[in-house]
Amino acid sequence: MARSAAALWWLMAALGGLVFVLVVALLVAGLRRGRAGPARVEPGGPETGSSRRWLVGGGVLLPSVVLVVVLGATVAAMRDVPVQAPDGALVVEVTGHQYWWEIRYPAEGAVVANELHLPVGRPVALRLRSADVIHSFWVPALGGKMDALPDGVNTLVLQADEAGEHTSECAEFCGVQHTNMSLLVVAEEPDAFRAWVAAQAAPAAPVNSTGAAGADVFARACSRCHAVRPATEAEPAERGPDLTHFASRRTIGAIAENEPEALRRWISDPHAMKTGVLMPAVELDPHELDAVVTYLAGLR
Amino acid sequence: MTAPDPSTVGPGHTGPSDGTGPAATPMVVEPPTHDRLDRLWADPPGLRGQLTGVQNDKIGKRLLLTGFFFLILGGSVDSVVMRLQLAVPNNDLIGPELYNELFTNHGSVTMFLVILPIFEGFAILLLPLVLGTREMPFPRLGAFSYWTFLLGGLLYYSATLFQLVPNAGWFAYTPLSGPDFSPDLALDFWVLGLGVAEVGAIAAGFEIIIGVLKMRAPGMTLARMPLFAWSVLVMAFMILFAFTPLIIGSLLLELDRGFGTQFFDPTQGGSSLLWQHLFWIFGHPEVYIQFVPATGVVSMILPVFTRQRIVGYQWLVAALVGIGFLSFGLWAHHMFAVGLPPMVLGFFAAASMAIAIPAGIQIFAWLATIWAGRALWRTPLLFVLGFLVIFVLGGITGVMVAAPPFDLQAHDSHFIVGHLHYVLIGGVAFPIFAGVYYWFPKFTGRMLSERLGRWNFWLLFIGVNITFFPMHIVGLMGMPRRIYTYDESTGWGPYNLISTGGVLVVVSGIAVFVWNVVRSARRGDPAGANPWGADTLEWAVPSPPSEHGWSVLPIVTSRHPLWDQDDLHSGDARLERFVQAIGRWPLRWRAAVVVGTADGRPQEVFRVADPSIWPLCTALGVVTIFVAELAKLRWGLAVGGVIVVGSAIAWNWPSPADMTEAEEAAFEREHGVAVNAGGSVVVATWGMGLAILFVSIAFASLLLSYFYLRLENPQWPPPGVTGPGLGGPALAALAALTAAVSVRVALHRVRTGHRAGFLAALATGALATGAAVAGQAAALLGSGISGTAHAYGSIFSTLSGFLLVVMTAAFTMVLLVLVWAARGLYDARRYAPVANVARFHTAMVAIWLIGFGTLYLGPVLT
Repeated sequence: MARSAAALWWLMAALGGLVFVLVVALLVAGLRRGRAGPARVEPGGPETGSSRRWLVGGGVLLPSVVLVVVLGATVAAMRDVPVQAPDGALVVEVTGHQYWWEIRYPAEGAVVANELHLPVGRPVALRLRSADVIHSFWVPALGGKMDALPDGVNTLVLQADEAGEHTSECAEFCGVQHTNMSLLVVAEEPDAFRAWVAAQAAPAAPVNSTGAAGADVFARACSRCHAVRPATEAEPAERGPDLTHFASRRTIGAIAENEPEALRRWISDPHAMKTGVLMPAVELDPHELDAVVTYLAGLR
Repeated sequence: MTAPDPSTVGPGHTGPSDGTGPAATPMVVEPPTHDRLDRLWADPPGLRGQLTGVQNDKIGKRLLLTGFFFLILGGSVDSVVMRLQLAVPNNDLIGPELYNELFTNHGSVTMFLVILPIFEGFAILLLPLVLGTREMPFPRLGAFSYWTFLLGGLLYYSATLFQLVPNAGWFAYTPLSGPDFSPDLALDFWVLGLGVAEVGAIAAGFEIIIGVLKMRAPGMTLARMPLFAWSVLVMAFMILFAFTPLIIGSLLLELDRGFGTQFFDPTQGGSSLLWQHLFWIFGHPEVYIQFVPATGVVSMILPVFTRQRIVGYQWLVAALVGIGFLSFGLWAHHMFAVGLPPMVLGFFAAASMAIAIPAGIQIFAWLATIWAGRALWRTPLLFVLGFLVIFVLGGITGVMVAAPPFDLQAHDSHFIVGHLHYVLIGGVAFPIFAGVYYWFPKFTGRMLSERLGRWNFWLLFIGVNITFFPMHIVGLMGMPRRIYTYDESTGWGPYNLISTGGVLVVVSGIAVFVWNVVRSARRGDPAGANPWGADTLEWAVPSPPSEHGWSVLPIVTSRHPLWDQDDLHSGDARLERFVQAIGRWPLRWRAAVVVGTADGRPQEVFRVADPSIWPLCTALGVVTIFVAELAKLRWGLAVGGVIVVGSAIAWNWPSPADMTEAEEAAFEREHGVAVNAGGSVVVATWGMGLAILFVSIAFASLLLSYFYLRLENPQWPPPGVTGPGLGGPALAALAALTAAVSVRVALHRVRTGHRAGFLAALATGALATGAAVAGQAAALLGSGISGTAHAYGSIFSTLSGFLLVVMTAAFTMVLLVLVWAARGLYDARRYAPVANVARFHTAMVAIWLIGFGTLYLGPVLT
């Protein structure tokens, strides 16, 4: 369906280009044409028959013909867009938060943040909503755009035909860090997708001896907002990204590469990296910080 | 008529071949009373005159200058800083907070405080001269409009002083702009500051509608009216129909923010999309409110600089009216991504594309005019040609984004930023510049420099294309709007750098313009009355014109009077006598003439309001209300309300005319035109009609909100809330009905000279109105429905509150008329205020009954 939108664009660009060239040509010709004449105002005004030809031909017929073609192509392209999820579609729940995306695969039992994986060649029904203000989901490379509203669910059906990675930015202004509300979209072969989603659905890696101290710090300092399944059993009181498989993610806060030094800075002062982010700075002594970074790095 | 010999320089046939010689077009003939009239129409000198002045010249110039001031502040400075930030990837010149404030401010200022006042300023400044009349119908309303616009703009900008700059975009989408996500006062500055300016916009709209329809030169039928007048007429109606829903939307938003109502909170029965509907019902027509008068300017200038009458006058009028109507049917194309059903998308797509037909008619009428004529290469023509080229491109991309599958790609991307600036700069700003170059000589007596004008044009034309064309490409590459930075890997960098370079060219073009205006105002070449050899009436008076404009009113027999008429004061013998008489009498009060809407025949000579401090006081009262809400001083709302009502009464207090009834009657006998030295009957009736229209649109917007919320909620009233009782409100409705009938009876009796019965009926009407107010207030307070628990209670309380306000206004009017009636102001000959109160009462009862049915009967019946 991204293809039908692209075809519509090329049609409109061609017609629009023609109309523009025509108008400018008429304008230039008209300006050159009058140069020889005397500078006087004819009595009675311009000839009415020729006026009517201009108005009916250029003013009514020309735009009407162009519009009928464009509208027909538009309706055809709109018919290409499925409104409801087709049978066999993968259902993904996408929830916009200030300023991150929560991605849930309800049938598969996986919860992810700021990363959306899609199997190639299968329609995907994104069930969009917002936990706070209005956001908008848009992957330019896959086409289509739909708002995530606090009022209810909107469904957007997408399909990736080739494997590859795309970036997506929130497309409705949603507050201070609207700019960095990014989403990594990974379209992959069905087998790779199945493996990925199964790994994301699995419980967190067991805590080994190097991570034990960090797990305690996490439970004390982080679990009010962040879940690591199944270690924290209750839903967090305030919803931050689920961190069960944090170490498998590409970015921290959709802005920095996921590596220990960045994570250290992020935990100590997230605002320095992403002004206006809703995560508070977490005050930890250096040992605690080391421990929690080690623990999180183990959450593959 | 025979074709004139091109070698003769006779009146009406030949313009200056090169713009060098003085124009040989007919001029006004000034009677000996000219100086006396000039003094009579002058505002008082000094500071007092500045505060009380009502002259349309003064108001119009102020609106223009203030609009340009805000353009430089919010249009230029903001955009330069934003473009510098975006020039290179990962730039850290400014952070996200400031960037968000800048784009919010840029959009809000240009949409509310720049283009609108500039065109209202053009209209108020030009209309009396263009239409051949001495003043606008409500000079004091014009003054009020300016003060509210200025004070609202200053209130909005004062947010900067408190470091509370609005930052939710010019569209302020809920819930981001609501109390939960924007808890500080920044958004209140946005809602309230711009709210004051919106009041001013509507006031000027009233003035312009009645000015165009009722105050023209004798003989200027609708079909002879210049296209500029048609365009501002359409603009003014659109302002009335578009700004009123916005004011209601802003009211609901402020109630949510300041009073805890739940209109836009989906968890409490509200809807975040209700705001978008109310906003875009305003927001889309707003674009055409700016575009329509711009086309009017183009249609004035093009014939003059092609030496040819405009082709397709009737078509252009039809196109203007068509655009006005269509523009209200396509607001949802700003909402293609909110999840509307495909049928709705299809409808709005078709409606949005259809507007290309009237726009196409305009373009081809102008092209045909160019083909039929011969270009006179002066700066105004350059700007008109620049307008044509840039606007056509903006229109073409406009058709593209009307197609939902494409729009869902382009929406909220930089493609839209490119598109809208092509439309607004090409389609609106270029005609504004053309208009300034064209009319500047008329009001200063000096020409703007042609050399600087060419620099001005080419810098702008090239700069605008360099700035905004790359945005289309980078938008299609996926760059969203309203982002403060981007990564190098996106590949957007080079395009953004080009755009930033372009904006510097634009700014230098604007600098040349400012310099040209400042320099030429003092040292420009003297202009003479008609430096362009133009065809319309304003060029028949000296530059600058006298205070009253026309001593002897022109008699119009053509659409191009200065080209076709040999002189401006001859025609029908009776009309000739009439205009000569009005040039010599009366000389003790400001007399203006009302004409028939279609035929342009004189109907009434009336006294135009003179200078007064009360418009300023009323505007200050309005600002007091809004500032009190901002400062959360609830008693201040009452203080402001008292100031507004008190000042409005003082403003409209009847002052005795310096003339006897016998004198009026003598003139009327001689010329067959009524004289009303006490104030116009016709104009006041039209004013009341528009006031009723305004109230009705506001009421319709509230009803729309009511039913929208109702459809969003499965249960209505919501579970746990019992609907209101019927008894009290039914009695109040009955009282309202009685009131309306009594006032009608009073009107009938005063017409038939039945004075005692008149007073009794009027008193009964006042009593019944008061009873209705009290009854409805008691019913509202006693209903026990919380306005803050659920959206049902919020809209219930607001709608009932609205009914109360309308009824209180009716009560105030009927009391005032009762006081004046008791003083013996009315008789069988003069009773216009009584008739107006009767009209308002009738409208009030209709509104009341619909409101009653919606609020009280609806929940019972369904």
